[in-house]
Amino acid sequence: MILQLSDISKRFDGVRALQGASFSLVAGDVHALMGENGAGKSTLAKIIAGTIASDGGEFLVEGSPVAVRGPQDAQRLGISIIYQELDLFPHLTVAENLAIGNHQFKESGFVRITDLDHFAQPFLNQVGLTCGPRCEVRTLSMGERQLVAIARALSMRAKIILMDEPTSALFDDSVERLFNLIGALKSQGVAIVYVSHKMDEIFRICDRVTVMRDGKTIGTRAIHEVSSAELIGMMIGREWQARDRKPSKSNQEAVLSFSGVKTAKLRDVSFDLHKGEVLGIAGLLGSGRTEIGFALMGLDGLQNGRIDLRGKAMSIKSVKKAIDAGIRWLPEDRKLDGLMMQMTILENGTISDLAPVSWLGFINRRRELKAAMSPFDALSLKYSSTSLAVNTLSGGNQQKVLLSRCLLGNPDVVFLDDPTRGIDVGAKEDIYQLIEQLASQGKGILLVSSELPELLRCCDQILVMKEGQIAATVNAGQTTQQEILTLATHAPAVIGGLN
Amino acid sequence: MKASGAIISSWKQISGQNRDVLKTVGALAVICILAVLLSPKSADGSYIFLQLGNLTDILRQVSIVGIISLAMNFVILTGGIDLSVGSILALSTTVVALVLTRWQPGLSYSLEIALAVFVALAVSTAAGTLSGAVIAIFDVQPFVVTLAGMIGIRGLAKWLSSNANVDVGFGQDVASRFAEIFRGKAVTIGCYIVLAIIFAILLGRTIFGRYVRAVGDNERAALYAGLPIRRIKLWVYSLSGLLAGFAGVLYAAENHQGNPNAGVGYELDAIAAVVIGGTQLSGGKGTVMGTIVGTLMIGVLTNMLRLNNIDSNVEMMVKGGIILLAVALQKQGKRV
Repeated sequence: MILQLSDISKRFDGVRALQGASFSLVAGDVHALMGENGAGKSTLAKIIAGTIASDGGEFLVEGSPVAVRGPQDAQRLGISIIYQELDLFPHLTVAENLAIGNHQFKESGFVRITDLDHFAQPFLNQVGLTCGPRCEVRTLSMGERQLVAIARALSMRAKIILMDEPTSALFDDSVERLFNLIGALKSQGVAIVYVSHKMDEIFRICDRVTVMRDGKTIGTRAIHEVSSAELIGMMIGREWQARDRKPSKSNQEAVLSFSGVKTAKLRDVSFDLHKGEVLGIAGLLGSGRTEIGFALMGLDGLQNGRIDLRGKAMSIKSVKKAIDAGIRWLPEDRKLDGLMMQMTILENGTISDLAPVSWLGFINRRRELKAAMSPFDALSLKYSSTSLAVNTLSGGNQQKVLLSRCLLGNPDVVFLDDPTRGIDVGAKEDIYQLIEQLASQGKGILLVSSELPELLRCCDQILVMKEGQIAATVNAGQTTQQEILTLATHAPAVIGGLN
Repeated sequence: MKASGAIISSWKQISGQNRDVLKTVGALAVICILAVLLSPKSADGSYIFLQLGNLTDILRQVSIVGIISLAMNFVILTGGIDLSVGSILALSTTVVALVLTRWQPGLSYSLEIALAVFVALAVSTAAGTLSGAVIAIFDVQPFVVTLAGMIGIRGLAKWLSSNANVDVGFGQDVASRFAEIFRGKAVTIGCYIVLAIIFAILLGRTIFGRYVRAVGDNERAALYAGLPIRRIKLWVYSLSGLLAGFAGVLYAAENHQGNPNAGVGYELDAIAAVVIGGTQLSGGKGTVMGTIVGTLMIGVLTNMLRLNNIDSNVEMMVKGGIILLAVALQKQGKRV
């Protein structure tokens, strides 16, 4: 046992985040930590990494008890964490990011750039990063940044690396690279704690899995002794079954059409979205999938082409105009782009739709609450009071508040940008059902997703984006993940026949 | 034991924002009790601090900075800052005094007073709006824009008055009448109270108030939710100019002069009141009640020190300490 924790507890403001959690890690193992949002897996990971202190419990590294009072202590013990948000310094170079706060890098007030290069290069080679030690991190893609974060962990001589949802911002090709790297690290005896929601990943790369629920560790299993249904059962405490959507009849009139749309990030994008249709958008990060939303909402001006709504050309210059025209948008990152974290649940739900519940600019709070209740109920949002700050909710419920904002205006077109990113299985299922329900009400839905099974499950047609263009349109019922991935990553010549 | 448990559990049911307000009110109560205990006694054995005249003096003294801080609270709630309010106040005192003393439009006294006040408020609002426009349209940092305003507007006030005070007399002329009307304790305090109520309603009950907090909480999210960000910013700086101008009118009446050197440092006093009142400097969180309490805390503290004849330099040191203490108390108990 390289690491052994037992009976760990932690309270935040009187709320119990962890109670009696136990966890042990074998050298060279990839050990998954699973659980719904709020189950305590991130808290446990942060306690291991020394970012937060536990209130009580035993912490053994290689059999001897240790006190981890901060990240510096953890680093000395060979423990390193890679956060979901990748805590890198965007304006510093790759080498500077590796060296900063690193005990392995000897510094004496002045730093020579060549020393930095020599320090960083071996680790960059190890993770397969080709950009060189001197490029600034902000110029790198998410996948490359992840490699920088891993190189940083390696340069600290980490024997234990914790990864918190490492693939949540990656598309499948970067995921592949990450998995190969994890395999290589494992063979070098590095133990990895892999925090994730994604079942297929866990079955692919992990040796063992520990499931958490309500701040407790429910159990640890060897991966080959357990089924995904069993794991989900452990996570949510009841049996769970995936349901598949019956394809909707999308032979109705087009509610939205793009014809030859060109913006700063899009080239010649054309498609029709029909009433009651769920149109999927697949593609790598930066492929233009999010930018379709930007064009739709008037955030990126059209350089060419036209957008028709309900058969009429429209010129949308602002988000306000788009909303007024009956278009709603769920942005990609709920914390940065969506929620006002200090405002209440109710205020976040109604912020775009205050006019109908107001008179002369004065908000009628009773009408506001009444208006918000129907989407809150439709999404089975869980809250103790709508006047609590939205940051008291779990990730899944926060996303539901944002979705409620989309529903309130009874829009004709809804653009959902990765709506299930980083949320738990139960909440995902609620969102799938909502999409289905909206489609059956005759709304047109554009669904962007990083998870291909999700697109296959929810959509009728799928647009595959690549470098700002639509590489292909595929029928969800007749395609495979393999095909979409090929279309999204390979040159147009290869996929010509499939179009 | 039981009672304290009940208090703790009911404390937990109060929402975070109200809790913060209660905390500042509690701190104000502590300072008031201290002020009573330390208050010198008058000949008949009563506490001077508690005499009606003293209490209304406190209110009157805080009214001018209090009015400025009402709008400053809105500016800070959007995540901005307005450093130009002290200079706008000076401009307003100068303009109102100049109109009253140098311009004889041949109107009745009341109309001419109304005209002078209107011109001063219009000029002040224009100054605030100009800052707001630059901030909103060119997306420049409010600190820099209003710093420029602070310097430039002070220059304008000095230039208009040829660098001299414009005296408002004590006679029977229109300017003296103006001073007489606006310098009354009841008028000054009344203006503060009415404006405070209006701003509390604006923040708590209107779409505008909701938008102000949303912009400060997360500007990008507010933009993506379809909020008119630029208009909201423009409005808060206009309001800030308007209220600074209003405070300037009261200042001119109280001091019987238009003074281009008035209001130096008022912007910092107003920011201090807002911050002590629990408004987050990065925006998004804060209440009008908090700002009022913050203003009163400074007022009571100043009064307490002055009643005890404490050196005014010591007074400043104590104020600095109180600001730090207030912010430290607000940080306490928050999740890291």
